[in-house]
Amino acid sequence: MNQIFSHTLTDTAIQRRAQVFTILEEICQELEWTQTQFEKARTSYEAVADWLAGSSDPMLASLHVYLHGSGALGTSIKPIGRDEFDVDLISFILGLGPEIAPARLKAAIGQRLREHAYYASILEEKKRCWRLNYAGDFHLDISPTIANPNCMNGGELVPDRKLRDWHATNPRAYRALFDERAALVPRMTQSIIASQRDAATTEPFPVRQSVKGILRRTVQLLKRHRDLEFLHVQEEIAPISIIITTLAMRSYEMCVRRHVFADELEVLIDTIRLMPVFIERPLVNGRQIYAVWNETTNGENFAERWNEEPARVEAFYKWHSKALADFESLRDLVGLDAIVGSMKDSLGDKLVARTMNRRMDALNEGRKTGALVLGAGVGLTTQQSAASTPVPKNEFFGD
Amino acid sequence: MAGSTTRNPLTLPQQYLFLQKSKTVAGEGVLGPRRLEWHFHAQPTPLSRTYQVTLVLERDGTPDVRVVDPALRLLAGERDLPHIYHDPDRLCLYLPGTGQWDASKRLDLTIIPWTHLWLIYFEEWLVSDDWKGGGKHPGEDDPNEGNRALRRSLQRQR
Repeated sequence: MNQIFSHTLTDTAIQRRAQVFTILEEICQELEWTQTQFEKARTSYEAVADWLAGSSDPMLASLHVYLHGSGALGTSIKPIGRDEFDVDLISFILGLGPEIAPARLKAAIGQRLREHAYYASILEEKKRCWRLNYAGDFHLDISPTIANPNCMNGGELVPDRKLRDWHATNPRAYRALFDERAALVPRMTQSIIASQRDAATTEPFPVRQSVKGILRRTVQLLKRHRDLEFLHVQEEIAPISIIITTLAMRSYEMCVRRHVFADELEVLIDTIRLMPVFIERPLVNGRQIYAVWNETTNGENFAERWNEEPARVEAFYKWHSKALADFESLRDLVGLDAIVGSMKDSLGDKLVARTMNRRMDALNEGRKTGALVLGAGVGLTTQQSAASTPVPKNEFFGD
Repeated sequence: MAGSTTRNPLTLPQQYLFLQKSKTVAGEGVLGPRRLEWHFHAQPTPLSRTYQVTLVLERDGTPDVRVVDPALRLLAGERDLPHIYHDPDRLCLYLPGTGQWDASKRLDLTIIPWTHLWLIYFEEWLVSDDWKGGGKHPGEDDPNEGNRALRRSLQRQR
């Protein structure tokens, strides 16, 4: 009995960690755009692109509108307490040089949008871009860019925050790099063991596959963790998404290239752990600064503001330690209540409750249809195996 | 036993043998002339704790299922446990008198899977405060309330 039991425990730990990752995966799905929302946003931004392309302003004669930011990377999440997604668009204007004033180009885009009665009615001016508010659904942020003649990597220039100067950026190459890294598949020891145990392996309930890869999920979970952590912080010090994304993708690449992992959860945790390695401290004009470089162009430091606002540095490191500790504790906790309780604390009560309700609904559905079985070593599942027994219908009774 | 008139009741040795041969849940027990005791570990999902459970069936009786460890009351804190017979605490796994369980039903195919089911709802209840497993409470809008078999079972259980 004892021997069997300790063997079961090892298998159980593997399955428990796999299940924790599955729930995290489901939480991410809960956080994402639905297909309907996605289609709606796409239709809208394609229409805006067409409208901008039809401008008679010679300055806008040749332009290319494309999606960037989290929507392009596949890392969007719903903001807390709002249903509206951010959709970031670049309006890349060809044939203009950096001699054009950023404010003038931005004004030309605004003018074209105002020529459309509906766009004019939902238009809002932001510091560096124009926003179209599709109330209740999403908002489109449209930033103008021009080609960067000094970038060998096809980079662009975007107005800086004061609209005085041009600022190096490279959304298309950034996306390509992110996609390339997200496509890296970690080597796992457990999957080898699992295939050897094949006959005895029944997947615990319910069965889901990771569809987006671990890097995208890592970024989504970290952004959500950040949103919750800074929900009641008044100052603007929360780590910005591009920093989280950049550090995570670099860390993920290093982890995946160098290590073999027990499972997905370990990849997630190690990726988080090593993120700070990619915060650089170069000496610039005799001063040691913070830098999180955009690897796809020269001179874009995502952490630029850390050097003027040290509170951001402290906020990042504090948040990072908390995130690491929270995901590590998920790896080690036992008991559905303990695991779910911890997820609620670190990712949000309602979000996690919604995810768990879906799971319990699926369980009840399995009970109703008779698909639910008790499997050897896995507990309740809907995957039948030789060593499983159906769960007959019952009604609980008593106080 | 009440409510089981249609099929032959299983004897304690038969129940014991089925439990011993179960491929799904390992356990060990003691078989006496009037009483069967079976100890097993129940882990309803890989996320769950492993619960040490004791199942007792006396001749002509109904199964008593107790969670020995960890203590359910400790996990529940101040709250009243859902779907429990009291003094001592035993899990209420089926509606008495309905034939969901009677002496002709194998423990390994009914009571044991239901114990797992109860525990999954219990752990979820711990965190949500909402029992999602359904079921009935005594005296609650119950279609079988007038049923003599149910009343007799109830008297025995409580």
